[in-house]
Amino acid sequence: MTGEKQNLSIDNGTMDTDKMWVIMGPQHPFSHGLWTLKAQIDGEIVTDAEPIVGYLHRGWEKECENRAYPKIIPMADRLCYAASMTYTHLYCLTVEKALGIEAPEKAKYIRMIGDEICRVQSHLMWLAAVGTDLGNLTVFLWAMREREYFMDLNVRLCGARMTTNFTRIGGVRNDTTDLFDRDVLRCIDRFEKAVWDIIALIDDSSIFVSRMRGTGYLTREQCANLGITGPAMRGTGVDFDVRRDDPYSNYDKVEFEVPVLKDGDSYSRYLVRIEELFQSCKIIKQCVQKVNALGKSAPYRLKVPSKVPAGRAFARIEDPRGESMMYLVADGTDRPYRLKVRSPIFTNVSASKPLVQGSRIADVPVIMAMIDMCLGETDR
Amino acid sequence: MAYGSILNFITFDDPMANPFYPFGGAYNLPFDISYKLWDIIGGIIAWIINLIFPDNGVSQWLISAEVSNAFALIIFMLIIFIVVFVCTLLSLWMERKVLGRLMDRRGTMIGLKGFLQCIADGLKTFMKENTIPKKVDKMTYMWTLSLVIGTSVLIACMVPLSPRWFVVDYGTGLLIIMALFALAPFFILVSGWAQNNKYSLIGGMRAAELMISYEVPILIMIATTCLLAGSFNIGAIVDAQFSSTWFFIPQIIGFITFVFCATAEAERVPFDIAEAEAELVEGWQTEYAGMKWGLIMLAEYFRGYVSCAMIVIMYLGGWLIPFASAEVNGLVPEIVFLLKAWFVFFVMIILRGALARVRTDQIVNIGWKVFMPLSVVNLAIVLVLKIGGIY
Amino acid sequence: MTKEFLDKYPRNPARTLWIMKPVVKVLKLLFKTTIHRPVTILYPYEKMWVPDNYRGRPGLRFDKCVACGMCVRMCPTACIKLVDVADDNNQNVKRPQVNMGRCAMCGYCAEYCPVDAMTVTPDFELAEYTRHDLIYGPRRLAYDGINEQMEIHIEETLISDIENGNPERRISPFKTDRPILEASKCISCKKCEKVCPVDAVKMVEHGVNEKGRAILYPEFDDDKCICCRNCVEDCPKDALQINEVL
Repeated sequence: MTGEKQNLSIDNGTMDTDKMWVIMGPQHPFSHGLWTLKAQIDGEIVTDAEPIVGYLHRGWEKECENRAYPKIIPMADRLCYAASMTYTHLYCLTVEKALGIEAPEKAKYIRMIGDEICRVQSHLMWLAAVGTDLGNLTVFLWAMREREYFMDLNVRLCGARMTTNFTRIGGVRNDTTDLFDRDVLRCIDRFEKAVWDIIALIDDSSIFVSRMRGTGYLTREQCANLGITGPAMRGTGVDFDVRRDDPYSNYDKVEFEVPVLKDGDSYSRYLVRIEELFQSCKIIKQCVQKVNALGKSAPYRLKVPSKVPAGRAFARIEDPRGESMMYLVADGTDRPYRLKVRSPIFTNVSASKPLVQGSRIADVPVIMAMIDMCLGETDR
Repeated sequence: MAYGSILNFITFDDPMANPFYPFGGAYNLPFDISYKLWDIIGGIIAWIINLIFPDNGVSQWLISAEVSNAFALIIFMLIIFIVVFVCTLLSLWMERKVLGRLMDRRGTMIGLKGFLQCIADGLKTFMKENTIPKKVDKMTYMWTLSLVIGTSVLIACMVPLSPRWFVVDYGTGLLIIMALFALAPFFILVSGWAQNNKYSLIGGMRAAELMISYEVPILIMIATTCLLAGSFNIGAIVDAQFSSTWFFIPQIIGFITFVFCATAEAERVPFDIAEAEAELVEGWQTEYAGMKWGLIMLAEYFRGYVSCAMIVIMYLGGWLIPFASAEVNGLVPEIVFLLKAWFVFFVMIILRGALARVRTDQIVNIGWKVFMPLSVVNLAIVLVLKIGGIY
Repeated sequence: MTKEFLDKYPRNPARTLWIMKPVVKVLKLLFKTTIHRPVTILYPYEKMWVPDNYRGRPGLRFDKCVACGMCVRMCPTACIKLVDVADDNNQNVKRPQVNMGRCAMCGYCAEYCPVDAMTVTPDFELAEYTRHDLIYGPRRLAYDGINEQMEIHIEETLISDIENGNPERRISPFKTDRPILEASKCISCKKCEKVCPVDAVKMVEHGVNEKGRAILYPEFDDDKCICCRNCVEDCPKDALQINEVL
């Protein structure tokens, strides 16, 4: 606090105040994971911010170069603990492209079910985090309770709760178990009712809404310049979703809406994510029907060669948090030559300076929660 | 009195007959209990001494009026504190259980439906290492803490539970409680400076910011209630509500506003910006470790209890049940008072479960643009009622 | 398709000081949850139901195991090791040992076990006091009440089958893939015969060389072979490789 400026200029009637850097993180309740936000504050107003990531770097990409292709799938699970199936899906898509094969229809639908279950899980975890960031534990526990039912669906599908290790190159690990469709439909019907409780708690409360509205503005231009994707981008009015505009798997065969809002503040990002919860439920319902229509005997896992021919492959999918991509360079052996991951959060977190600049320090957790940090994939 | 019977020493005198009785003409139940307790303890000691050394001065001294009174006062203080302490622990336990059920979990589960968890937490914080950071201003760091805790405990003890359960029967009781209640934010502000921590500094500043925004409306509303009752004395306010109606009916605006202001006074969730754990790790409590932090938490619940008691005294008829006869009201007015206070605390718990923390600029806005005009409107209504002769 | 949430909610819910609805909601749910059981479970006393195919620690059926080393090869965290252990007849055999401190519970060992000796088990309470206790030997890996649900089979469809209009046949790669010999590289070292866990390799004489020694080439018994790749990996001259049927 002891600044070098001592000239309290009385002449023009202004007062010089010292700005101070507040280091938030890595051990801080607001950083959901190990990262740091350095915020320069002037009183309560944030004037500058700088994110520091990399505490969780574990050499993921280098590690992949020493592993056979199937052994990377459990590692891809651990890229994002909240939505593990999306990354295994992405990895398998990339390798399938390099092999020049396509997964069977049934596998595609099962993968989509897995993806959307994980999207709901991830969004619910984000909702829980928003609750604690705003100082309300009820939202946290109610959202976590709903998430638990989707975890149970994961267990029914593949026997594991979080790190599912479910997608395989050329298909999925196992067929849907008996009564899985019944469990899914029950869970979703229940969820679509129960989530309105949380919505009533947040959207009908002027405190929640006023904390989110009008904070953390982001424009379309900033989205383009900073490379922001996902719900954060759709909250600013950019109508783009990889699932709809560049469909992978069978997303072109199901019907769903992409919510887009123009305001660009925290609240619109919140609304987009809540709407995505409902749309994900719709996709799951349709996929369950399609899986049932394909019958029990339809193939779900192709036999693939263990060696990938030399070449390059690239795939991208819509992660719950944005657009994630993988780029594979294969050299003809059973191990990748190079596997590059583009994590949406690593790019999105670069927006923290324009997001929090000018807002109050009390709003920083809420604004950064709308980015939905996930350090597993950011630091890799 | 050589080798006198024990009944010569344990006489169960009427404390009010004691010439040094400290409460004037008013009967005081806890003092009565403590006086009789000392009668038993002191009488037995005096009897035993008398058995060994017959006709000594010490025995007579122990059961003399002055000494009985002095020791009875010490026991009286202990009784008052223990009752308040247990009430606070009960409200803490209630918060944990109700919040737990509200969030679809179980709350605490250790012993006596979870009540012993409070004891376990207390023991745990007391066993922790007493860490004092190197670069804090140690003197200020410690005395602000002691004053925050001390004033909180003091006002919690000063709240009367009934006409027979009080510490001091002030003519200006409500004002003195309020004055002590409003002291803590100053100490929080100084403590934030002393801790040499940026989070604490911001937290301390926020405590001051919080105080200027709700302290003025709260005082206006206290003045309004006293105007309606015609007295600052707590007993008089309660009696006035018994003879007319509970004051929350004429001052419904004031009641709702006061509930929120009291929540802010106790620094509970919608207004706990001084220790907002999402952005400031623990706010002004960041550098207090172990036992000190445990005491701060306890003091916070003491303040919550006092807030509820204030609401009960000012708006919900204190310890009296309306339309009940004097005999019914004379039975257990303390329990009636505590039940009402716990009901108000329950409302505060529900608010905590339903609402989020407001921002600093919002609390100033609400304080000056909503609470302040509402309290003035409330005062105007009461003035009209008073001039119109309805009250 | 409609937007369920955004259509119901106006874009501008600027209701200042409106907090009654969440309070009422919370009271309603408080009432509801008070008369129902809480969703949380008292963990050490009650336990969550887990299905049979839950992926807890690996389990091993000692008698079924043939010590092919497939689990060792496939483990992504390299936590499995083959160790010498006495079997029921006091013979020295090799069986897998799992270091549970490294295990990632991915289930690959069970999935890639050609004889389904390795399984997943619903046992997830693995805390121990020392690191040494975390190492599960072959006998300790056994799990009471093991059943077929805990086995994981690879049921793959061949791409050629789909092209031939037979997409419903599912087959395990351990039944189709077989090692093939590049005879010019073979030096008749008999290593493949030694390492084969199921005695599917037999060295057959194919004449004599110029020094008068017998030229031995391995021959594979396709019924016995489980495609464990031991012979391929241990071949000193890389004369063997797996023929992947696609």
